[in-house]
Amino acid sequence: MSKFLNYRGVDFQLQDEDFYATRVNLSAQASVDPVVLSDGSLLNYAPSSAVVGSLSCDFYLTSSLPSYLNITGTHSDPIKAKFADVEITGVYPKSISFSVEPFQPILISAEFDWYGDVKVENFKEQGINQVRQKQVPNYIAHSYKSHLSSRNIFNSDYSGPSGPTGPSGPSGPQGSIVSFSYSSSCDRPAFYKVDELVPFRVAKLNKSCEASLSSNQLGNLITIEGKQALANVYIKDFYGTLLDIFTVSGVLDNQNYSISENSYLLTEASINQFVTEQKVLI
Amino acid sequence: MSYLISGLNIKNIYEYDSSQSYGKYDVVDYQLNTNFSVYPNYTGLGGQSGLNFWFNSESLGNFNLDSSNLVTGWGNLSDVNFDGDDYKFFIQNSAEENVRPFVDFNENYLPLKDNEFLSGEGFDCIDRTIFMCFEASSKSNFSEQTLLYVDKSSGAFETEFPNGPSGLFRIKGEDSLGSSKIIIDDREFSAVSPIYGTPNIVTIVQTATGPAIESSGPTLEVRQNGVYLGRYPNFYSGWVSGFMQIGRNENPNGIKYYDMFAFSGVLTNSEIENYEKYLFESYFDNEGLYFAKQEVPAGEVRAPVTYTGSAYWTKDIDDLFNLTYGSSASFSSKLNTVDFGDGYKSALSRNVNSLNVSFDLKYEGLSDKEAKALITFFENSPEAPNKSVYESYEGVDINLFQPYKQDAEVYFLDISHETPYNDINNISIKAESLYDSSLDYKGMLIKLDEQNIRTYTDDLNTFEYNDVVYVDNISYSKRGYYFYTGERTSSSLPEANAPLGDNSSFTKEFYFKVDIDYSISSNLRVSSSDIENSTNQYKKDGINYNKLELDLAFSNRSNKEALAMLKFFDDRAGFKFFRYTLPQPYNKEMLFYCPEWQHTYNFFNNNDISAKFVHLNDVEDFYGPTVFNTKISFTS
Repeated sequence: MSKFLNYRGVDFQLQDEDFYATRVNLSAQASVDPVVLSDGSLLNYAPSSAVVGSLSCDFYLTSSLPSYLNITGTHSDPIKAKFADVEITGVYPKSISFSVEPFQPILISAEFDWYGDVKVENFKEQGINQVRQKQVPNYIAHSYKSHLSSRNIFNSDYSGPSGPTGPSGPSGPQGSIVSFSYSSSCDRPAFYKVDELVPFRVAKLNKSCEASLSSNQLGNLITIEGKQALANVYIKDFYGTLLDIFTVSGVLDNQNYSISENSYLLTEASINQFVTEQKVLI
Repeated sequence: MSYLISGLNIKNIYEYDSSQSYGKYDVVDYQLNTNFSVYPNYTGLGGQSGLNFWFNSESLGNFNLDSSNLVTGWGNLSDVNFDGDDYKFFIQNSAEENVRPFVDFNENYLPLKDNEFLSGEGFDCIDRTIFMCFEASSKSNFSEQTLLYVDKSSGAFETEFPNGPSGLFRIKGEDSLGSSKIIIDDREFSAVSPIYGTPNIVTIVQTATGPAIESSGPTLEVRQNGVYLGRYPNFYSGWVSGFMQIGRNENPNGIKYYDMFAFSGVLTNSEIENYEKYLFESYFDNEGLYFAKQEVPAGEVRAPVTYTGSAYWTKDIDDLFNLTYGSSASFSSKLNTVDFGDGYKSALSRNVNSLNVSFDLKYEGLSDKEAKALITFFENSPEAPNKSVYESYEGVDINLFQPYKQDAEVYFLDISHETPYNDINNISIKAESLYDSSLDYKGMLIKLDEQNIRTYTDDLNTFEYNDVVYVDNISYSKRGYYFYTGERTSSSLPEANAPLGDNSSFTKEFYFKVDIDYSISSNLRVSSSDIENSTNQYKKDGINYNKLELDLAFSNRSNKEALAMLKFFDDRAGFKFFRYTLPQPYNKEMLFYCPEWQHTYNFFNNNDISAKFVHLNDVEDFYGPTVFNTKISFTS
């Protein structure tokens, strides 16, 4: 790296696919503990874990979300990332999130853990030809046509233009959703063979997803068990092409009402789902 | 269902079926085939075939012996057509003693070495199914060895056509796929399983009559360990003759004949499997559970006992699983302590191997399928073959974690299994090592391996702090392990800095420093006079009332320091004393022995070690003469 690298010249890929990122952050963390002896001397700093890297990025969704970024799915193998022409082979997604605000394109925020030796000293800009050959995406997710349909949030059967049908809840007025967001995450515990510094497995643990929305009303107050609710988030491009659907089927456990000077009364709620898998008999 | 499977606490494990494919970590019970076993003289199968001959070593009564207990005859157990006819035995009437085999009464086979042989006559048969179970040793040049020789004969015991069209069953070649051959007459078949050093079942189906031969002529079909090797048309006419001979191979290690029998007539495949199963159950010890170490396509050549199968199936835990961090070892010595009064005591080793070690082996992050295989391995470990006729089952061969030896034999005792989440399993196995001895000068579990621990010579170079070297010397006090405490150097050391030099950079004493957060507690050895309804009174118990027992901790130490420290304890074997200078504010050098210590491998270059040091003060050359206040001297 002989000079400052320019954003325009830095490429970002996952599994050899181009991602149109507005921000990429790469960091590494070593866990060490000082070893102090009885005579007061410092022996060394002992490692208590491998170097764990963090990778986070914000990118525009230009097609359906790849399956390897499905945080709550069963895919747990490492993926490959390429950043500034340096390849990182042991990358493990652990969260994605996005919010849909009026008149805004939708940016997906993703976080990853990574392991292994990465030649960060070899970061470099891509060539001009590479930049020119990069294809312009056909679709970019946008809030204009994207929407959230729900069941049992506003005490009604369903809401939204194409919401799911299902068991009827108490009838009541529909809420007007101002904005909404979605996130899914999991823990990625790493397991190492003795004498090795790169994990042989990075599992998925505590998978969950959440949909939050801001609206003018939220129906009845939640009970001690919350409210069973379902939200489907439809992500479309500006012209209405459906790119992906994110579903949260869980419990609405949080309602918030607030108003301030020169503003309307706004309510906020979130639906949380703890994602489980049925075990396959072996 | 095999008792092996029914004895497990795991479901969905089946007998190996070569028509099935298997996934990695699948477990099968290999029993050669899935058919049932039939004793050769059982007649309930409904076939028309009769037992043509049957030789086995189950009973000493099957043999005729001379005055030197050498074999002169091997009885034919077949009772069909041969009642009272001596010629249907295998006999050895030669005057030369070196051709008579010796039968080991403790073994279930008859070995035929060098020129030893047996022969007999009257075994004529047109259609025949021959079963042979044997174990051959290889000749130095892997040349041919004859398992069975069939020919015409006019005499009782010698063939008249030694070079004629005799029926021959031979083996040859190096013991590898493609090189090892099973030869019928002069037709070679590639063996699918190892042919040396392990029992083998070879089945020869001899068809010379019936409608099948009208188009193809007489044929011999050959099977090895249940796997069909091929068919051989127009076999030599000797096969239908009555003279048979085994042995005469000029092989000093010989061939072990476990069992051989034949039926007149061609048996069905199912019947053949029945009898092969009998031989397998009687003489093989490589049956039982096998674990797939990769995806296994269907096919009988991928059975666990075949050359190819060994690439797919294993009984070795190290082929399947690796230990994970957090594994630990716990050492303790069995000592008898004798208190002499005045604070003097003696710790006596109970036997020559008084040091015990118990391992807590961690296998974390396993999938459900991996966990199933590991639990099955654990539960099945007592089914290992016996170590010898005098000992019980073998332990598990395993590569331990650093710095312990790689080829250890341990016994699995307890298992602990927890699942924090779906498809994540953490398993901990407690294991004991029984066959490692602290008497071995190379070390009990941390070995003098000439890599991590080297033998010191004047030419030895490259030293760094905590290096361990072994010094061989005729003097017991100078011989042993020394620990380098000097500066790092890539060259050899001057004589003065050598382990036995005047200004040595090595030490034999305990030089490691404990953690800064240490605690030492001791109590005075005092006795009390508890006089009822009165004041208690304390009296010192002899002259050595300040005895220390320390629990010392050495946390987060590097692999190199851990190796050195653990080697130090390993070498002291739980009872040998050493000097140690107590930390501030004591700062006194004293004698201790270490009867217990624990080690946990937390992470790479991160080891926790804790040890118990027991103060020792009965060694005259360190503290001066032993003094007893309580000593009673008897005078005449």
